[in-house]
Amino acid sequence: MAAELTERVREIADARGVPESEVFERALERGVEDLWFDLVISRYLNDEITRSRAVEAVGEERLRRAEREAEAVEEDVRWGSTA
Amino acid sequence: MIVAVADAGPIIHLAEVDAMALLDTVDELILPETVRSELRAGGVPEGFADLTVEAVSVDEAVLQSRTDLDEGETAALTVARNRDAVLLTDDLAAREAAKASDVEVHGSIGVVALAFGRERLREEQAVDLMRSLQTETSLFVTEAVVEHGIELIRGDNDGSPSGR
Repeated sequence: MAAELTERVREIADARGVPESEVFERALERGVEDLWFDLVISRYLNDEITRSRAVEAVGEERLRRAEREAEAVEEDVRWGSTA
Repeated sequence: MIVAVADAGPIIHLAEVDAMALLDTVDELILPETVRSELRAGGVPEGFADLTVEAVSVDEAVLQSRTDLDEGETAALTVARNRDAVLLTDDLAAREAAKASDVEVHGSIGVVALAFGRERLREEQAVDLMRSLQTETSLFVTEAVVEHGIELIRGDNDGSPSGR
């Protein structure tokens, strides 16, 4: 896996004409952004933060999508336990 | 007695985690011919031939009647409505269209939850499959949402929606 990542970083750097360090920096930014999004959604679904705080952190559109997903998952789990 | 009509999504996603056989957890599974064609076009998932499925056709004019859903989703929703069956789809737009038509609707995670509820899976198997659906398949669902569902499966929550 590590070798594959290294190869990919090299290929991206070559294709984009940027140093590998910049590829790592951008990958870290994207990764942290995803993890931050998950943390905010998790806190919101657990009622640890308000909706307005969640909107402030991730934006209305992304939160609305997560709400639709959560509603679907809740309905699915409930179906499984009662059907 | 659960009669369900599936579009291609749950079949593909459950196949991607080697769990397509769980579709047999529903008592009767119906598959529109349009959906079978979609599956054939994309490569029939392994194990599909082992499923017990009733095949049905939907009129071409009906398939063309919606612009918000693809033909497979439209066919599955039409049959589910006509047969008073549950629609199985992983598409959020199709879910909402089903609700608007008073059709009960669930997805791949629902199939896993049903298999757990009917004691076809142990809790840890159900949890592992839910995580795999998020990480190893083309099903788009936020990790935090899946973890929320897992908490519900584990019974850490009473299953009722929060005050959102």
